[in-house]
Amino acid sequence: MPVVEVQLWDVARVANMDISLEELERVLTVLKAEVEEVSDDTLTYEASHDRPDLYSAEGLGRAAAIYLGKRRQGRYVVKDPVTELDISAAPRYRPYAFLAIVRGVRLDDEAIRQLFQLQEKLHLSHCGDRALVSIGLYDLDRLKPPFRYVAVKEAEFVPLGYDKTMSLGEVLERTEKGVRYADLVRKGEYPLLVDSSGEVMSFPPILNSETNKVTEETKNVLIDVTGTEPWLMLKVLNIVTTSVLERGYGRATVESVEIVGAKGVPERTPDLRGSVLRVELRDVSGLIGWVGSANDVKAVLERMGYSVEGLFKDAVVVWAPPWRTDVLSWVDVAEDIAAGYGYWKLRPEILPPTHWGREHILERMSSVVRDVMLGLGFSEVVNYMLIDAKLLRGLGYERFVEIENPKMVTYSAVRPSLLPSMLLTVKENTGLTPPLKMFEIGDAVKLVDGEPITYRGLGFVIANTKLSLTDGLVIVKALFRSLGAEVFLRPGKTPVTIHGRTASIIVNGEDVGLVGEIHPRVLSALGIEYPVVAGELILNDVARALGVGNVPKLSPKP
Amino acid sequence: MGKNERIVLPDRVYRVLEVLIGLGGRAPAEELARSLGKRASDIQRDLAELERLGLVKVIKDVIKRPELTPEGVEVLENGLPEVRVLNTLEALGGEASISELAKESGVIDKELKAALGRLRRAGLVEISGGIVRLVGSDRSSFFETVSDVVKGLKEVAEGRYPPNFGELRRRRLVKEVVSKTQIIEVTKEGALAWSEGRVIRARVITALTPEIIRSGEWEGAEFKEFDLSIEVPTIHPVRKHPYAYFLQRVREILVGMGFVEVKGPHIESELLNFDALFVPQYHPARRGTDVYFVKGLPRLERVSRELVERVKEIHEKGWRYKWSPERALRLVLRTHTTPVSIRTLMKRGAGEYRVFSLDRVFRPDTPDPTHLMEFHQLEGIIVGKRVTFRHLLGFFTELAKELGLGEVMFRPAYFPFTEPSVEGYIKHPKLGWIEVFPGGMFRPEVLNAAGVSGVNVAAWGIGIDRIAMLVLGINDIRDLYTNNLTKIRSTPYPKEVMR
Repeated sequence: MPVVEVQLWDVARVANMDISLEELERVLTVLKAEVEEVSDDTLTYEASHDRPDLYSAEGLGRAAAIYLGKRRQGRYVVKDPVTELDISAAPRYRPYAFLAIVRGVRLDDEAIRQLFQLQEKLHLSHCGDRALVSIGLYDLDRLKPPFRYVAVKEAEFVPLGYDKTMSLGEVLERTEKGVRYADLVRKGEYPLLVDSSGEVMSFPPILNSETNKVTEETKNVLIDVTGTEPWLMLKVLNIVTTSVLERGYGRATVESVEIVGAKGVPERTPDLRGSVLRVELRDVSGLIGWVGSANDVKAVLERMGYSVEGLFKDAVVVWAPPWRTDVLSWVDVAEDIAAGYGYWKLRPEILPPTHWGREHILERMSSVVRDVMLGLGFSEVVNYMLIDAKLLRGLGYERFVEIENPKMVTYSAVRPSLLPSMLLTVKENTGLTPPLKMFEIGDAVKLVDGEPITYRGLGFVIANTKLSLTDGLVIVKALFRSLGAEVFLRPGKTPVTIHGRTASIIVNGEDVGLVGEIHPRVLSALGIEYPVVAGELILNDVARALGVGNVPKLSPKP
Repeated sequence: MGKNERIVLPDRVYRVLEVLIGLGGRAPAEELARSLGKRASDIQRDLAELERLGLVKVIKDVIKRPELTPEGVEVLENGLPEVRVLNTLEALGGEASISELAKESGVIDKELKAALGRLRRAGLVEISGGIVRLVGSDRSSFFETVSDVVKGLKEVAEGRYPPNFGELRRRRLVKEVVSKTQIIEVTKEGALAWSEGRVIRARVITALTPEIIRSGEWEGAEFKEFDLSIEVPTIHPVRKHPYAYFLQRVREILVGMGFVEVKGPHIESELLNFDALFVPQYHPARRGTDVYFVKGLPRLERVSRELVERVKEIHEKGWRYKWSPERALRLVLRTHTTPVSIRTLMKRGAGEYRVFSLDRVFRPDTPDPTHLMEFHQLEGIIVGKRVTFRHLLGFFTELAKELGLGEVMFRPAYFPFTEPSVEGYIKHPKLGWIEVFPGGMFRPEVLNAAGVSGVNVAAWGIGIDRIAMLVLGINDIRDLYTNNLTKIRSTPYPKEVMR
């Protein structure tokens, strides 16, 4: 979740009130944000992903002023458009662009820093790292409306942060942002935002122009969003527009821009009408287990930034401001009622069960097998399910689930068997005096006709200076005698055991596992210097063979 | 004790009887003990045992004996003070001052007065004006008395009472000492048994053997007293892995609360891991930095069209973006066990029930003391018409109580698939409030995706490893997943899993 940094004085400036750090921390808690650090006047907090309006001081100042009763959030007024944006010649792979204008802002270094932070956090959390939406701010007075969003083969401009003209191709090759986001644009069809004089405003989603950037002198701000997902873009535009509006400190106005040349999108943007929902109090109490009177609910909702437009005995009609992009249904309002009322005031309640509890059959099997293995003198170990794909291949395993994006080679596959884990266990404990007798009960994923299936296995291993398959078979027989079953053996095969000295374990006609002498090739590769016998039983199969029950197949198929 | 019966005595007791008979069959306890090289108090238990067997009799006695006082000793060494004063006076020519006498005779001041008094009463000196003079009279009766005193003192020194003991005691030259003592005496039966050779010395047993047990040799044998101060060797029991032990305890708690355990696959589709949970496809938690993608396996096939349609609808209606079914059918290593809950809802539908799962999930990370690329999640749902958010808080409170975690504090939180959402915190003695209980009520969109309606579903997914570390007192999460026997052996089971 995004970590946001604000200055306390700046938040207070936006809120237009003195706010103590304590008050601000309380507000943040109610708004699902968590304070990470406070040093001098700098406050760092982790904002929740569903509250992008809190990604900068503008939104936090606004929310704090509302929560603390200094301000009441009313409907936004958006002036009719005086200019337009033509998107008819937009690139087909990135077809949308919308604009908004905010007039009468006062910007300083901190305000610009906050608005920049807002864009960056939004880009990462809601814009698919610019793949879906990209945001830009401009000094409107340096531009000549109307505007056009077009696909071009080539163009030249001074990119933001540079002092010389570059071609679009050069921007992609020579700037850090260009290199990073080059994949998002297509050669021969580069997106470009230009004004009526042909001046390049932006090469979205890469870089804006240096010449018309927002500065401390900027009074009127033009905001653009471009991208592939129009409704997501509109939400993002609302967050940015209402945040920039806060920099007018009550005196700025929003003006819409007409969007021409596209179907199925609004004719003018932004749309700051917000949303209106009717919330039945019975539903709220049915979900939360608590609800106050309609009047209580009204007070709580207003503190949380809603405007209550209708108040009935059993329902409220609320208006959610356009920056509350997370409010999708009445449950979102219900959460705000509970949070605004205070979770600490909700009394936890015990709901008695309506049925008996029961462990999973595999866990019951595991418990029984674990007890027997302990009784046979084996120590229990735990290994990771993730394992080195290269190690598996070296051991002779060919089919297993491999990770496309491993963070470390050591953990780049899911173990297809417990046997490799057993070998790693012996390796880990070679410093101890043999005999070593260890087991693990855990899950592994094997590929059956290309389908990854989770199973519960028992892996066991014996390492001693003198050892043969007999020592392993003794254990298997003893185990199944304890479980009331007889064991038959057939020649078996595993990638790590000696051919001809490996047995398949047959119980009631079912093949339930394998035990064998580990091949010296494997032992010397792992640096193990004494004989090892290892085995694996598939407890799903053991349960079925013993007539305990059928374990449903655990595959990704829904 | 019957006649002709063998009496087997432990070695120590036997020795006491043997020495007593050597001392003539009767001796004070002190003397007996001294002969054994012990103190009287050391042999009391042995004497009691011998008396119980009727072999000896312990006679309690009071003994009086005369003893010289330090003054008496002094007189025996240097003579009586009056004699020493008389001799000094004669040496000084029969006349001297008291101070001169004191100085020359060496008799201390206190005794000098008494001595002069006795000499004057015997008519041997006269005193006037601080001057002592010899009077020439008969000295025989005086010296007779003196010799009686010396004789008496000598007898006292030899432990006898002289005829003039009373007078000596008045002169504080002697005293009478009274002491209690035990006289140990072999009984007639004891002496008989001994002489007939029926008293037998038992052997000492340091370790029982089948031989000793079978032969009855142990009867009356003495077991060598074990020296408890000696270190014994350390051995290690084979045992359950501490983490397995903890997880088993967690299972018991959940089962005790009426939950039925369910399991799901470790390899999931994005569809169930994210999309059915209303996590938009552009959500940052779905990037490669947060999810392990499966390499080289085909996407899911033949998935119920209905499910895909339902999921598509919640995304396109709720989030308003173009939802990609191809993306949804990609395989991932599950990042949480919430898909197991979704599977349960899809299978069981609405109703009144509660299930849990406790298994591994995966998220890209580099192992260090607080991070791992795989960990256990305790996942669960409570399904029912009247299930509320407060019941979820109640569940967390009870679970914390059962795990011995103490007080729980609740704060608003965000998860894409629950609304309202909550994070429960417990108070750690060192770390302060720490987040351990995330949960919430499944969103209507999620219930729609699962094809369930008409019920509320309280859901949670707890990273149980963190709690395991607290309970087991482990500071490095990697030690939960250890295959190192030395580490496993050094981690004791905590009291939380015992109560």
